[in-house]
Amino acid sequence: MLKYPTAMGVTLALLAGLSLAHAQKATERFIPIGKSPGLSDKYTKIGTIDAVNTQDRTITMSAPSGTYTARIAEETRIWLDKSKINSTNEEGTFSDLQAGRMVEVKYKDNDPEGPAEWIKVQIAE
Amino acid sequence: MRCPAIPGTRLLFTLLVVGLGLIGLSACKPPPTPDNEQIARGRDLFFNETFDGNGRTCGSCHPASNNFTIDPAFIATLPADDPLFVAELNPDLQHNFENPVLMREIGLILENLDGFDDLANIFNMRGVPHTLGLRHSIESRAGPRTGWSGDGSPGDGSLRSFAVGAVIQHFTRTLGRVPGVDFRLPADEELDAMEAFQFSLGRQEEFTLPLPLKGKVAARGQEIFNDRTLGKCSACHFNAGANGDPGIFGQDAGNLNFNTGVEVLPDQPADLTGELMPPDDGFGAPGNGEFNTPSLVEAADTGPFFHNNAVETIEGAVGFYDGESFNNSPAGQLLAGATGSGVELDATQIVAVAAFLRVINALENIRQSIELLDSFVNRKFLGNEAFDQLLARAAQETDDSIGVLAAGGLHPVAVAHLREARRLTREAMASRFSSERLAREALGEQERARAELMES
Repeated sequence: MLKYPTAMGVTLALLAGLSLAHAQKATERFIPIGKSPGLSDKYTKIGTIDAVNTQDRTITMSAPSGTYTARIAEETRIWLDKSKINSTNEEGTFSDLQAGRMVEVKYKDNDPEGPAEWIKVQIAE
Repeated sequence: MRCPAIPGTRLLFTLLVVGLGLIGLSACKPPPTPDNEQIARGRDLFFNETFDGNGRTCGSCHPASNNFTIDPAFIATLPADDPLFVAELNPDLQHNFENPVLMREIGLILENLDGFDDLANIFNMRGVPHTLGLRHSIESRAGPRTGWSGDGSPGDGSLRSFAVGAVIQHFTRTLGRVPGVDFRLPADEELDAMEAFQFSLGRQEEFTLPLPLKGKVAARGQEIFNDRTLGKCSACHFNAGANGDPGIFGQDAGNLNFNTGVEVLPDQPADLTGELMPPDDGFGAPGNGEFNTPSLVEAADTGPFFHNNAVETIEGAVGFYDGESFNNSPAGQLLAGATGSGVELDATQIVAVAAFLRVINALENIRQSIELLDSFVNRKFLGNEAFDQLLARAAQETDDSIGVLAAGGLHPVAVAHLREARRLTREAMASRFSSERLAREALGEQERARAELMES
C-alpha cells in the first residue's frame, strides 16, 4: 500500500479541489450587456442576431469583429437584459433569441467552438 | 518622507508648538506615491461609496475596526440606523433580503448564490470572510477563488469583479436590482482602486514554518499542525495559510476547495434559532458541497468559524477535524484513504494546535501594530489607512493580540507588554505634543511582546 506522503501526493493531488474556478452566475444576470467586469469585449462577443436556427439551436450574430455562431446547450443560461427600460433583468428562453436583437455571448471555457455558457439578450422596449 | 526637523531655539520651538496646536499634525502628512494614491482611493471607495444604493458600503460588512469582518458582538455595538440593518429600516427590503435574527444572533448575511428566482426558499446564510492577506489566499491553478466557496465574483471571477456582485447582492434599494435605478455599478477605475486596496490589507508575505516559538504548548501545537501523520493540517494550510502544500499538490496549487462536512455538523447555532436555514451547497450552482480553504494566520481573531459561523471558538474549530462530520466527509475520507487514518486528536492536542494559531495570530497583530505605529512615527503614508487613524488602528490590533493570547491563557508577560503598548498608544492618541514619543515607547513594548513569543 502506498504510504503518506506518497499516497497523499498522488491521491489528493488527483482528487482534491477539482472544482474549476468560475464566476458566479447569480449576480451576472443583473449586469447589463457590455458591463461584465473582466469579460465584456475581452472574452465575450457582443453583436446583433442575424439568424436563429431552431433545429440546431444556434444563433448567428454580427459583431464588430466579425460573424459568430453560438450554440445553445441545455446548460446555457439566457438572460433578458431590461436595464435600458429600467426594469428587472429576467431569465429568458431560446424563443427570446430573435433576429435583430442585441446579444452578448459568453462561450463555455471561452471556446467559440463550444456551447454558450450564457447569453444576454437586450430588451429595449 | 519625514516632517521637517524641529528648530533648536526656544522661540522657534514655541512658535512651532503653537502652530501644531492650530493646524495639527496633518500638515506633516507626506504626499502619497502613485500606487498608494490608488490604494487610498480604493480605501475611500471601500468605506464611503454607497454606489447610489441602500446606504451600505463595503465597510458595512468589512469594517477595519473589526478585522474587516463582522460578528454578533460587533453588530451589537452598531446603532439601530446603521446601514447594515437596512432590512429592518427599508420596507422594500423587509422580506427576502436579510434575516435580521440570523444577522444579529449569528452574524450571518443572506446570499442568493443559487439564483434569484425563489427568494423565499432558495438562499444561503453565510458569515462574512475578512479581507486580510488576500494576496496569498485567493489564487489557484484554476483561477481566483473568492468568497466562501470560491465562486463569489461575477464577470471573470476575480477579486476586482467581486465588488460588482456585492453591489448587486447587498447594496440594492429594492429587490428589483435594476442598475441605474437601485444602484450604480462600479466603474472600471473604481474596481481597480478597490482591488488595490484589498490586496494591500494584512499580510503581504506568507509565514515560513516552523517558527522558533518560545511557548511550549504553542510550539507543540505547531509540531502537530505540521505532522503529516497526526494533525495533517499543513496539507491544506501550508505555512498556516490558505494554500495547499506544494509538496503534495504541486507548486502552483494555490487555494483549494473541499467538502469538509461542515454542513452536516449537528446542533449548529443557526439551526437552533429555528429560522429557515437552507442547506448550503457550496461551489457552483447547483453546488458540489465544496468550500475554499481560509487562511489560518488571521483566524483566531476573526471568528466565528466556517462559512456558516457554526463554531465560535478557535479550539472548537480545531476540534471539528477530530469529529465525525469531518472524518466522514469527502475530504476526511480522502485524507484517511491517503494516510491510512483520519484525524485523531485528544483535548490537549486540540488546545495545543489552537494555542499555535493564537500565537501566530498575535504575531501578525503585533506586526500590523508595529507597521501602523512606525508609519505614525516616521510619517510614512500607508495608503490603506488614513493618517489620523494610524494610532487608533494600532490600538485595535493590540486589543486583538491581547485578546487572542489572554483568552488562551498564553504568554502573560507578552500580554503585559501589549497592555502597556495599548496604554501608550491611547495616550499618544490623546496627546497633542507627546504623541510621537509615546508612539515610540509603544513600539518598544510591541517589540518586547514579540520577543516573548518567538526567538528573533
